Amino acid sequence: MREGWRVLRQALVLGVLGVLVAAIIHHPLLKRLARGEFRDTLVQAAEYPGLRLITTAEGEDLWRGGEAVFVDARRSPAYDQGHVPAARSAPVAEAEKTLPQALVDLRRGQLVVVYCEGGDCQSSLLLAKRLHDEGFQDIRVMTGGFDEWTKAGLPVEKGHGQE
Amino acid sequence: MVRNKAVLIAFRLVLGALFVYAGAVKAAAPLGFAQNIRNYQMVGPSLSLAVAIVLPWLEILAGAFLILGVWKRGAALVISSLLAFFIALTIVTMIRGLDIECGCFGAVDRKAGLSVILEDLAMLYLGLCVLIKKEGTGSTHYAPSDIARNA
Repeated sequence: MREGWRVLRQALVLGVLGVLVAAIIHHPLLKRLARGEFRDTLVQAAEYPGLRLITTAEGEDLWRGGEAVFVDARRSPAYDQGHVPAARSAPVAEAEKTLPQALVDLRRGQLVVVYCEGGDCQSSLLLAKRLHDEGFQDIRVMTGGFDEWTKAGLPVEKGHGQE
Repeated sequence: MVRNKAVLIAFRLVLGALFVYAGAVKAAAPLGFAQNIRNYQMVGPSLSLAVAIVLPWLEILAGAFLILGVWKRGAALVISSLLAFFIALTIVTMIRGLDIECGCFGAVDRKAGLSVILEDLAMLYLGLCVLIKKEGTGSTHYAPSDIARNA
């Protein structure tokens, strides 16, 4: 019985330690969460059936396949410094009310891969939701973003590209 | 349940490594994991992110403790409890007919389904073996202190 309590106490201490470590490491994210920043960034799968999250490796496959159109949701200066080759620039700020100019020629059935910086960036998901609302049916969000793309040693294009 | 000490150590190392890995890939992309949690439609967006921030570190710590052999039964209790919860959650998700990604091991294209349940059950078995076995009595050979205690 005493051994059982000891094990339970260890588990509880581990739980508290987990919370503490997470709070220390992710405190900038927690601050933003406390400000209510992420309320609109998480989507309900049922509400957005055509939207899927993908890994960088899956993104690479789609990029090499050449069938997907890559869309960079970051601000223009970041796009100019480097982006996925052939990606179109569509900063999410420009997509608040209308479809960004760079995407108006796309048919709604076109497979689109959206990305932003990576880590805890939100713009790719926000833009993906916007595209969904505009009628796009096959949208993938590359969650690792441009950071993981470059870390994986994948090709990068600089300048205005297909903006 | 397995009683052989060497096998139990192997279980502990394998399970610990799996949890450290699973936690690390989730901790690297908290928003993506939060979206996975949100897809289960059990909690709201804020709580999804809070869980996505804390849960990976709990997995990493419990896995690391298990590997190091520190508080191994406490770590095994944490991991077994998490696995039991994941199994229940996946069953409920299947009953509700939700076609969603499981969010396990950072995989974003793996559905919450039977294969996930079987995988979690296998890991739960390892966890329970470590949890149930009392420290210091795992060997098939008795240590002198055990003999003295039982005398």
